[in-house]
Amino acid sequence: MTDFITYVIQGIPFGCVFALVAVGLVLTYKTSGVFNLAFGAQAFVAASLYYVLHVRHGWPTLLAFALVVLVISPLLGLLLDVLIFRHLRTASPIAKLVSSLGLLVAVPEIVTILVLGESSTFGVVGIWWNDNALYRFSDYVIDGKEMAIIVSTLLVVLLLGLLFRFAPIGLRMRAVVESPRMTELAGVNADRVSAFSWMLSSLLAGLAGVLLAPLYASLAPQNFTTLLIAAIAAAAFARLTSIPMALVGGLLLGIIQALLSGYLPPASVIAQSVKPTLPFAALFLLLLFWPGLRSAIQNKDPLSGVDPPPDPSVAVTRGRFLTNATRVSGVVVGTGVLLWLLTAATTYWIGIATTAVVLSIVFLSITVITGMAGQVSLCQATFAGVGAFSTAQIVKVLGLSVLPTLLLGAAVAAVVGALLAVPMLRLGGIFLSLGTLAFAVMFDTLLAPLGWVSGGAHPVSVPRPIGFVDDRPFLILCVVVLAIVSVFVIFIRRGTTGRYLTALRGSETAARSIGINPTRIRILAFAVSAGIAGLGGGILAVQKGVAVKEDFGYFYGLFFVVLVVTLMPSTVEGAINAGVGFALVPEVLKLVGVSSSWQFVLFGLGAITYARHPEGVLEFQKGKSLAAIQKRLPARLRGPVPGPTPVPTGGAD
Amino acid sequence: MSLALVAAACGNASSSPGKANKQNDGKNATVDQPGVTKDTISVGGVASITNALNAPYGDIFKGVKAYFAMVNSTGGIYGRKLEVVTPRDDGMVNNLKEVQGMLSEDNVFAAVGLATIFNFNGAAALSTAGIPSFGWNLNEEWTGKSNLFGNSGALCLGCDGVELPWMAKQLHKTTIGVLAYNVADSKACAEGVRKSFDKFKTAQVGFYTDSLTFGTPDFSVEVGKMKQAGVDFITTCMDTNGVLAIAKEARKQNLDAIQYVPNGYDQSFMKVNGQFFEGSIVRVPFVPFETRPVPAGVAEYLKWMKQQRVTPNEYTTYGWINAAMLLEGLKGAGPNFTQKKVVDALNKLKNDTAGGLLDGIDWTTQHVEKRTPEACAAFVKVVNSKFVPAFVPKGKPFLCFKRDQGVNVPPTYK
Repeated sequence: MTDFITYVIQGIPFGCVFALVAVGLVLTYKTSGVFNLAFGAQAFVAASLYYVLHVRHGWPTLLAFALVVLVISPLLGLLLDVLIFRHLRTASPIAKLVSSLGLLVAVPEIVTILVLGESSTFGVVGIWWNDNALYRFSDYVIDGKEMAIIVSTLLVVLLLGLLFRFAPIGLRMRAVVESPRMTELAGVNADRVSAFSWMLSSLLAGLAGVLLAPLYASLAPQNFTTLLIAAIAAAAFARLTSIPMALVGGLLLGIIQALLSGYLPPASVIAQSVKPTLPFAALFLLLLFWPGLRSAIQNKDPLSGVDPPPDPSVAVTRGRFLTNATRVSGVVVGTGVLLWLLTAATTYWIGIATTAVVLSIVFLSITVITGMAGQVSLCQATFAGVGAFSTAQIVKVLGLSVLPTLLLGAAVAAVVGALLAVPMLRLGGIFLSLGTLAFAVMFDTLLAPLGWVSGGAHPVSVPRPIGFVDDRPFLILCVVVLAIVSVFVIFIRRGTTGRYLTALRGSETAARSIGINPTRIRILAFAVSAGIAGLGGGILAVQKGVAVKEDFGYFYGLFFVVLVVTLMPSTVEGAINAGVGFALVPEVLKLVGVSSSWQFVLFGLGAITYARHPEGVLEFQKGKSLAAIQKRLPARLRGPVPGPTPVPTGGAD
Repeated sequence: MSLALVAAACGNASSSPGKANKQNDGKNATVDQPGVTKDTISVGGVASITNALNAPYGDIFKGVKAYFAMVNSTGGIYGRKLEVVTPRDDGMVNNLKEVQGMLSEDNVFAAVGLATIFNFNGAAALSTAGIPSFGWNLNEEWTGKSNLFGNSGALCLGCDGVELPWMAKQLHKTTIGVLAYNVADSKACAEGVRKSFDKFKTAQVGFYTDSLTFGTPDFSVEVGKMKQAGVDFITTCMDTNGVLAIAKEARKQNLDAIQYVPNGYDQSFMKVNGQFFEGSIVRVPFVPFETRPVPAGVAEYLKWMKQQRVTPNEYTTYGWINAAMLLEGLKGAGPNFTQKKVVDALNKLKNDTAGGLLDGIDWTTQHVEKRTPEACAAFVKVVNSKFVPAFVPKGKPFLCFKRDQGVNVPPTYK
C-alpha cells in the first residue's frame, strides 16, 4: 500500500504536465472549434523566445516571462486567428485539423532556423524562483520546476472554470464555436470573440512552453510534439469539452504511468512494450471505447454546410485546346526528362528521380483515402513501413524473390489497414485522424524497434530484383509500377467504388438510401490505400537496399499529408506532383543557398490553405493561370465557360 | 538515433602527434584524381546538420575546416590547399542520397566529416566508390568497410568490457543501476553493461531497465526503485536529456549515487548542469582537453579552434580527427597520391592517433575486429561543473585494459 501511494504521488507532477497540455487542447477546441495540433508548436515558439531572452540575453526571469507569455503568445494567437482560423470558422473540423497540422510542421522549423540557430540550447531555466529548490511532502519531494507546473495547472483550471461559468465572454466563446453566424445574428461580434479565444489559448500554449522547457536538457521541437500527442489522450478523456476532466485525464495518465513503472518488472517484455506505449494506447482505446466521445465532436452549427461547393477541377473545365496543349507539353517534358535520366543524368539525379517516383506511389495512397474517401489518415507512412518491413523480412526469412514479395508486403499492409479501419471508421472526422496518429506513434514506439519487425539494431537488407540492380533499370521499373498503380487508382475512381465514395462524401444518408454500405466501401478504401502505401514503402526499401524504421516515422506521416493536400489531394497528378516536390524542392532550396529545412515551412504553410482550397493550392493556382491564358486565347480555341459541378470533390487525372 | 553509445575505443601502441604540415616535396605533381587540381584538394561530407534533437552535429565541419586552415597556413600539402566544398545535410535520414550527390556531383577527393545520427545507409555507396571516407563512427554500418575510417574501430554495442567493473571497484561502488531506452542501440548498450558485470563481478546490477520511452523527462519511479535497491553507481545508455533528468531526479530523491555517462563530454552542457553530476564519470573517446600537460595534438587543436573562433566540442573534435586522418593518408600515399593509395596507406597504419588525439587505431585489423585484445579509453570526472582527468597519472590520458585479464590486474596508461 505504501508503494502504491508513493507511485501515485510520483505520478502527479508529470500528470500535471499532461494535464496542462490537455487543458490547452480542450480550451482551443472549446473556444475555436479547432483541434489545434499546432499547440505544441506554439509552446515551442514561447519556450524558444523565453530561452533566447532569458538565457542568451540575460533578461530577468519575470520580464522575459511577461513579454513571452503575456504579450508575444497572445499576439501570436491573434495573428493565427486573423490570418488563418477566422476564415475557417464554418469549415469542416477536418479542414481545420489539416491547417493546424500545417502549422505543426512549419512553425518549429521557422523558429529553429530564425530564432535558435545552430547553437546549443542547454540550460533552460524555469520561472520558479529556484528550479532546484526542494519541497518535501512526507517521503516525497517536489522541485521548483514541478511546483511551478502543478501550481500553474491548478490555477489555469480554476481560472478557466470561472471564466466559462461566470463571465459573459465565456458563454460567447462557446456560442461562436457552436454557430458563428447564429451568434452574429444575436448581435455578438464573432470576430472579436474569436480573437479573444485564440489569444487566450495561445497564452496557455506559451505558458505551457515556458513551464515545460526546463524539463529537458535542451530545446527540441520533437519533445513538445511527443508531449502533445501523449496529452491528446487526456483531452480525449475530457471529450474535448471539459477542462476539469482534462485535468483528471492528465493526472490519471501520469499516475498510471508511474504505477506501471512501479509494478511492472523493469526489464520484462511487458514493461518494454506497455510502458512506452501507454499514452498512445490510451488515446487509441479512448477513441474507440470512450462513451459519448463521438457525440461531442459533431458539428452542431445549423448553418454549417451552406457554403457553395469548391470550384471544379481545372482539368474538367479547361477547353479542348488547352487540355491537348497541356497533355502534349506534359508528354514532351516527361519524355525529355526520362530520356535525360536514362542517358545522361548522374547517379544522384537518377536517385532523386527514383525517390520522386517511389514516393508518388506512396502518395497515391493519400489520393485514395483523402482525395476519394475524404478521410485524413495520419499513418500512411506507417503503412509504407509495414510494407517495407514485411517485404524485407519475407525476403530474408523465406528467401522469396523481391518482385512478388513486394506484392505480399503490400497485401500485409492492406490487411493491417483493413483491420485498423474497422474500429476507426466508427469515429470518422478528426477522431479518425487522431486515431491513425495514435496508431502511427504506437507502431513507432512498440513495434518498429522489435527485431522481428524492423531488424532492431540491425536493419534488414533488401536486394534489388535481378535485372534491376543498376539504377537506370530500377528507375524504369519504378516508373512502370507507378503507371500501373496510377491506372489502378483511376479505375477505382471511375468504377463503382469511386462513385460510391463520391456519393458517401456528398451525403451518407442519401448513399445509404440507394443501398450503399458505407462501412464496407470505406474499409475497402482504407485497405486499398494502405496496400498502395505498403507497396511504395517496399519499393523505397528496395531502392535504399535496407528497410530502416526512421524512414517511416510518424512525422513522415504528418508531412506526407501536408505535402499532398498542399498540392492536389484528389488527383493522380497531385500525387505525382507531391512526389516530385518532395524530391526536388530540397534541391531547389540548395541551389538558391537556403537550408532544405525550409521545405517544411513551405509545405506546412501551404497546408494551412487546405480549408479554403481543398483542391490544393497548386490546383488553385493552376486554375487561375489557365483561366488567364484561356482569356487571351482566340474565341475558337477557348473551351466552354466553366460552371458549377455536381461533384465538388472530384478530380480528373 | 544518437543515443549514448558505449563504443569500445580500442587501439594499440603509442601515438605520434601530427604537427601542422609542410610537406611540399613533389609540389604540384600531376595528379589525375577527382577533386584534385593544381592548387587544391577538395573534400565533401554529410552530417545530420538539421536533426530532431537540435544538436550541433554539423559542427563536425567546423573541426574539418579548422584543421584545413592549419594545414593551409603552412602551404597545404604537395602544394595544394585543402578545402571543404560541400558540407551536405543528412536531414531526415537522407544520407544515401546525399552521399550519392557528393560522389557524383561534387567532384571531391575524399569524404571528410561524416556524422549521420540515424542509419548510415550511405556507407555502402562510399564503400563501393572506394573513396577515402572519414567520420564519427556511431553506426554499425562503418564496420567491415576498408575505406571508411572513423574515430574508432568497429563498434560492438552489446559486448562486455572490463572498464566499468574496474571503475566500480576503484570507486568502491557495489550496486549498479542500468538504464536504457526502448530503442535497439540503447538496449544493446545496456545489455553490454550487464554482461560486463556478469563477467567481472565487482558489483551487482541492482536495477536494470531497458524499457524507457525516448524523450520522457520523468524518471521518478525508476530513481525511487534504484534508491530502494541501494544503487550507488548509475550507468546509462541515453542522450543528454535522459541523463540530466535522471541526475535531477536522483538529487531530488536524495539518491546517493554517481553516474557513468558514456556520451556527455560537452563542456557547455556541463557548465550549466554540472551541479547535478558532481563526482560523475564521463567517457571521452579522444584525449580530453583537460589533460595536463596539454599534449601537443590537443594544444594544436585548441589553438586552431580559437583562431577560427569556434567553440570546441565533441563534434568539432571528430571533424579535426577526420581531417588529420586524411592528411596522414595523403602523406602516406606520396605526391602522386590517388584515392586508393590514401586508403592503402592508412590501412597499413597500426597506430593511427589522428594527430595525437586518439589512443591509436590499428587499421590492419580494426575495420572488422570488434573485440581487440586491448581496450583503451579516457575518462574524466565532474568536479565543480568542470571535467578533470580521472584514473590516470599526469600526461597519460588513456587507460588501457587487456581484454580478458580481469579487474585485478592493473591497467596500463597511454
